[in-house]
Amino acid sequence: MTDLKLLPAEESHIEQMMALEHECFARDAWTEESMRFEVLADHTRYFVLLEGNTVRGYAGLSKLPATHQADVQTIAVAPSERGKGLGRKLMEKLLTEAKNQHATEVFLEVRADNPVAQNLYAALGFEHIDTRKRYYQPDDVDAWIMRARLDEGDKLEPVVLGIESSCDETGIGIVRGNTLLANVISSSMDQHARFGGVVPEIAARAHLEALQPTLIQALHDAKLSMQDIDAIAVTNGPGLAGALMVGVGAAKALAVASGKPIYAVNHLVGHVGVDVLEGELELPTIALLVSGGHTSLLLVKDLLDDVTLLGETIDDAAGEAFDKVARLLGLSYPGGPSIDNAASGGDPKAIRFPRGLTLPKDMEKHRYDFSFSGLKTAVARWVEVAESKGEAFSVADVAASFREAVADVLTSKAVAACNEHGIKRLLLGGGVVANARLRELAAERCAAIGIELRIPELKLCTDNGAMIAALGAQLVMAGRTPSSLDFGVDSTLSVETVQTK
Amino acid sequence: MSLILAIDTSFGTSVALIENGQLRAEHNVADTMKHAELIGSAIEDVLAQAFVQPSQLTGVVAGRGPAPFTGLRVGIAAATMFAAGVGIKLYGAVSLDAIALAALKSSPATPVKPLLVTADARRKEVYWALYSGVTEHGVPIRVDGPGVMKPDELDDYLVNRNVHPQQTSEPITAANLGLLVEAQLAEGSETTDVTALYLRSADAVEPKARIGKPVSG
Repeated sequence: MTDLKLLPAEESHIEQMMALEHECFARDAWTEESMRFEVLADHTRYFVLLEGNTVRGYAGLSKLPATHQADVQTIAVAPSERGKGLGRKLMEKLLTEAKNQHATEVFLEVRADNPVAQNLYAALGFEHIDTRKRYYQPDDVDAWIMRARLDEGDKLEPVVLGIESSCDETGIGIVRGNTLLANVISSSMDQHARFGGVVPEIAARAHLEALQPTLIQALHDAKLSMQDIDAIAVTNGPGLAGALMVGVGAAKALAVASGKPIYAVNHLVGHVGVDVLEGELELPTIALLVSGGHTSLLLVKDLLDDVTLLGETIDDAAGEAFDKVARLLGLSYPGGPSIDNAASGGDPKAIRFPRGLTLPKDMEKHRYDFSFSGLKTAVARWVEVAESKGEAFSVADVAASFREAVADVLTSKAVAACNEHGIKRLLLGGGVVANARLRELAAERCAAIGIELRIPELKLCTDNGAMIAALGAQLVMAGRTPSSLDFGVDSTLSVETVQTK
Repeated sequence: MSLILAIDTSFGTSVALIENGQLRAEHNVADTMKHAELIGSAIEDVLAQAFVQPSQLTGVVAGRGPAPFTGLRVGIAAATMFAAGVGIKLYGAVSLDAIALAALKSSPATPVKPLLVTADARRKEVYWALYSGVTEHGVPIRVDGPGVMKPDELDDYLVNRNVHPQQTSEPITAANLGLLVEAQLAEGSETTDVTALYLRSADAVEPKARIGKPVSG
């Protein structure tokens, strides 16, 4: 069960859902057309159980806005996965969703000849209220109509809209409690390419242009309108000041316009909090956050109250080092993927580039800090020397050796932090997590000493609004007071300030 | 029937509520550094002063500048999201035009004696625009600009064209911005374009790929 995720169904799941549909309902399967209509319709909510990228089950609920009744449209679990409680998990999700949508009754139909399903539904509070004769054709089987009444007093999960604009991604995400509903990202990366790195003014200009379309798309994806949003969350630091201000101005206006509370949250803690969207966030954990703007090692004992910065880069961020080295090797921006490509087939041991702040004298003061500026210079000098001697060299070897040095120092310090703090968990976050070698080395080193490694899905690792919404929802659910309307941005906000009041 | 929320952060933080040509409420703070801090409370305060719910508004207008980068964006971002959040019309207006609207009420301009409006652009430069009078509905007629120049360059530019304008010291206010858009709506010259007028490109220099060149000593 541990690797199964329960997420809202997306268009990309439909093909697999259809395969399962035919497997489960051979004689009366829906057509792909009707499945697509169902999944994408405004009045329905479909969920999939995912193991990796494989759909193991799905279920859907229909609830029309003007009524207080919801209908279970379908529920299917792969035959190979039955008897593991997956059907119950899906049905519980539908019941929660029905409550979130203010339904007071949920109806379903079940074959009269399927006692296993009937018993499950009865255990979840459904009762048999009517029978529809010969409902299932061509089998000529009766349908039981079952109904569950929902408690109106139950606390609903908050719907939170999160806005992220700390660097070059304009992100707007929407969550309901710990469930991801939308995650729309508009990146200005292409506009920075010719400069070889993020230009703050260009990033800020792009945020302004992207805000409105990103908001519209996020609401569309979540099948919600602003009236359904319970709270707004926004990144107020750390990050690029001019870029942050665009998101903060936008979020405050949205909060006043909709009359909803606002929560100013920490970008880096958002990278940790995003893991709640992929299942239980297990704490305590060490978190290694690596991007074009940050390289930070955190000790997280409590997401909202106890986050400590163990160390961070004292010069360039790791992602920045990738960009700069890519440039001096004549590779394209962003440097992460282009160095990853160039490194394939290269020998990571060809050149022993320095590992910053790992010498004993540095370790005293900078045990968990990072430095990539010296590494970048070392690569530059190595290339310079090779060229001045007129020697041909392998760009693949240089790229692989550089990448190895970065991945080595990041993972060794992160694993050391786990060991020295007696913590059996490591969470990775930030865009550099896209780097295959970093993930591979982290997995290898964690496995070797029994540390559980968590890497959220890549689109939740890069900067995004869903992580800000998720952290905001945690604050709402913990009953925290909203932020005042007067907070500012703080480009160097400490990780210890999870929420700015 | 028109009830418009106007937001301008091309200088300080200025928010106003205009109803059928009348100022209902305004909130002005001259500080040019705290737009992100102030914008939320400024909007909230203006609505509270006039006992207006967001859903009663008919439109929002954003001052497009020209203005130095950072603060300007806060107001446009806020106006954009406010309009999207409530589901009402969003308009854009040139902030210098709002200054002209106010100035031309007390001292009319003519094509022979036009009005020059300027605003601080920092870096020893000014934003400017030139107006020859107003339309039937009172909308300033901009005949040149908006542009950005050093003051002496602007003087030369005008002298060379034999233009000897009158000037104004009217500040930019959201109230005048709102009145401007109401006048534009009356004559059908309003625009929904809220693109920021920076009038300068982003400061950034393209680096050269460094392979094949000496790097450092």
